[in-house]
Amino acid sequence: MTEAVQTLDISPVGRVEGDLDVRVDVQDGVVVNAWTQAELFRGFEIILRDKDPQAGLVVTPRACGICGASHLTCAAWALDTAWQTEVPRNAIIARNLGQLAESLQSLPRHHYGLFMIDMVNKNYRDSQYYEEAVKRWAPFTGKHYELGVTISGRPVEIYALLGGQWPHSSYMVPGGVMCAPTLSDVTRAWSILEHFRTNWLEPVWLGCSLERYEEIQTYDDFMAWLDERPEHANSDLGLYWRMGMDVGLDKFGKGLGKYISWGYLPHEEKYNRPTIEGRNHAVQMPSGIYLGESDVHMNMDQAMAREDVTHAWYEEQGGPVHPFDRTTNPVVHNQGDFGGKYSWATAVLHSEYGHLEAGPLARELVYGGDHMEDWQYRDGLVLDMYKNLGGASVLLRHFARMHEVKYIYRMMERCLRELRLNEPFYVKPKERDGRGWGATEAIRGALCHWIDVEGGKIKNYQIIAPTTWNVGPRTGEGERGPIEEALIGTPIKDPKDPVEVGHVARSYDSCLVCTVHAHDAKTGEELARFRTA
Amino acid sequence: MANVLWLQGGACSGNTMSFLNAEEPSACDLVTDFGMNILWHPSLGMELGDNLQQMLRDCVSGKIKLDIFVFEGTVVNAPNGTGEWNRFAGRPMKEWVRELADAADFVVAIGDCATWGGIPATAPNPTDSQGLQFLKRDHGGYLGKDFRAKSGLPVINIPGCPAHPDWVTQILVAVATGRAGDLSLDEFQRPKTFFQSFTQTGCTRNMHFAYKVSATEFGQRKGCLFYDLGCRGPMTHSPCNRILWNRVSSKTRAGMPCLGCTEPEFPFFDLAPGTVFKTQTMMGIPKDLPEGVNKKGYIKLTGAAKAAAPAWAEQDIFVV
Repeated sequence: MTEAVQTLDISPVGRVEGDLDVRVDVQDGVVVNAWTQAELFRGFEIILRDKDPQAGLVVTPRACGICGASHLTCAAWALDTAWQTEVPRNAIIARNLGQLAESLQSLPRHHYGLFMIDMVNKNYRDSQYYEEAVKRWAPFTGKHYELGVTISGRPVEIYALLGGQWPHSSYMVPGGVMCAPTLSDVTRAWSILEHFRTNWLEPVWLGCSLERYEEIQTYDDFMAWLDERPEHANSDLGLYWRMGMDVGLDKFGKGLGKYISWGYLPHEEKYNRPTIEGRNHAVQMPSGIYLGESDVHMNMDQAMAREDVTHAWYEEQGGPVHPFDRTTNPVVHNQGDFGGKYSWATAVLHSEYGHLEAGPLARELVYGGDHMEDWQYRDGLVLDMYKNLGGASVLLRHFARMHEVKYIYRMMERCLRELRLNEPFYVKPKERDGRGWGATEAIRGALCHWIDVEGGKIKNYQIIAPTTWNVGPRTGEGERGPIEEALIGTPIKDPKDPVEVGHVARSYDSCLVCTVHAHDAKTGEELARFRTA
Repeated sequence: MANVLWLQGGACSGNTMSFLNAEEPSACDLVTDFGMNILWHPSLGMELGDNLQQMLRDCVSGKIKLDIFVFEGTVVNAPNGTGEWNRFAGRPMKEWVRELADAADFVVAIGDCATWGGIPATAPNPTDSQGLQFLKRDHGGYLGKDFRAKSGLPVINIPGCPAHPDWVTQILVAVATGRAGDLSLDEFQRPKTFFQSFTQTGCTRNMHFAYKVSATEFGQRKGCLFYDLGCRGPMTHSPCNRILWNRVSSKTRAGMPCLGCTEPEFPFFDLAPGTVFKTQTMMGIPKDLPEGVNKKGYIKLTGAAKAAAPAWAEQDIFVV
């Protein structure tokens, strides 16, 4: 017999950043409908209006304490394109190195601090791996939890060598960077990288050398690696994969199957005269979109971005608009109306393909494409796994995030090799009016800023963060947002403890905090409130 | 054993991220070695939904003893004083903050947002944000000027954008090890042990300051950032150059001007056009002078400094 629909309101979900509530309809133990609701408004775009053109360098890193370097990267490149600056090669490298250091930090911090805690949830106590999981990953006391959280502080020491501190430096400025590192800064950075590799990356995470891991090119290679030695199978990566399969993380969290990456890490000799149009041809990590259903890769352009406020708490005219045409006018009464407006996040869209998923999985699927230029980075592993496993899942999405350690580590080494310490780090630019766009890939996905400078001050500043792509509400036409869609089909073993909903939200590394209340679908009366962690 | 509850209002989680960089003690050491019982934290906590709300209610009622209540982020009052633009666990966050602050032995505000409003309270302050006991320089804030926690202390303000992890962990350890009596607070309720000296104290560019050798543009290893690039190190109270960031450096050492982020006015001049990374001057004299120095003294000092400056001061001393 078909059960009645039960509605769970999860408010807050926890261990995501910011305030996110999730509402799911559950029928026969499976999620059949979902709404994601961002619950905090801070109004950064409003604060930036009429301010100094460089105000974004101070304000936007503070939009997010986790992705501050990524915001700073966008803010600097946006001004570079607006002011038509010259950026010397050392500055491009120093910016890339800071961006990469922040991303490397985030791998163990998110993995142990936010994601793996779910694996010690009592819902999984029947798994053969549960006991070992608790030993390693229990919060604060788990052997690898403590190691992982502590070592996550090391990579950002490299950021501090460049910018003075992490988080919240503003060392990237139009025309270059504020710093001019010395030889001892570079050698110290090398030592920090080595420490990270020999104390966590190889012995704990991989159970093998980074070189051996880099040999893995296909899904079959990966499975062969897993079986090759007990050190591989028992590494944190090996145990994640085996336990993930065992508890069924490969069975849900599929999502829309449409992906975006802005690409990032401009090449030090290809973006010295930055323009909006020239960016795709200058980034080492290619930009693009991937449409899973038709298995097609193509280029992405900022001109195709749209924001739809039909279901978002803003009063703005017209249909979906390009961010340059946004006015950011919040409604006063932000009551949740799931047929109407219900979130502070807008629905971010591609002008033709609608909602897209952002994040490490999206990036890695783009890297598997054939649309990029010959010299740009390519890695087909995650795309091959995606095809072999029948699309995305919680398991693959989080694997993709951790797989990124491979090129992040190598690219950091490359930065340290390529810095030329006796050459300039800054070329003083001329301030002028104009429109600019700066983008990057924060660890959690596609991030970009648009700036419009007029009369020597900011006329309009717009930010689209990865979580805006992922946590966005429905479009005017009713297409669900990426996380909303990914929740569909999620099995809920215990409606009093729907850890699976938390898993999906956290696999997106969404930057929000959530709770769960449960409502009777017919009366709307609250039945119970549940913990999800 | 001390029960600690940490919540976030209008926040970016930057203070949490900074806190997680701590090493001596680390966040985990606080739990395993110093007996901190972290009741809940938005990034680290296990409890959710009903369990969390029950715990919060138990803290308010006194059923769970709340030793330390840590707040990160602004108190959001918009719209129209309701606080609905920042809801948490089913109600406006500001309502939880009031009740929990009244129940706690110690209330600690971490970062500029919680101390005096910080970036979200920058004009036009779209979220109608306040700090716990200040809004910028105005004493009062959300909890009011006369607020005292159960210990008798007002809110302990640990400003900074973000606060340094050691400033946070060491205050928590001081409280947990019974040394709260040694805490001495300044007029902005900042622990004097950290905020009596200046950001400039210990800066590697001090000799350039002394001889008035200016870094006139970015990307240089030499020169003081105060004269042209808007550095607020001589007017800002913080130990940034005594207790280094991420163990290795500080903004001014790296070449970034101090923004004065431990002072209530941050971001200074509300980021008005022409104020970012540029020293504000009048007739060639900085409008804001090193604390306690008057204009006449400044002119004499810099005249003598320039006259005495050795040749090496104009060259790089931090070389490749």
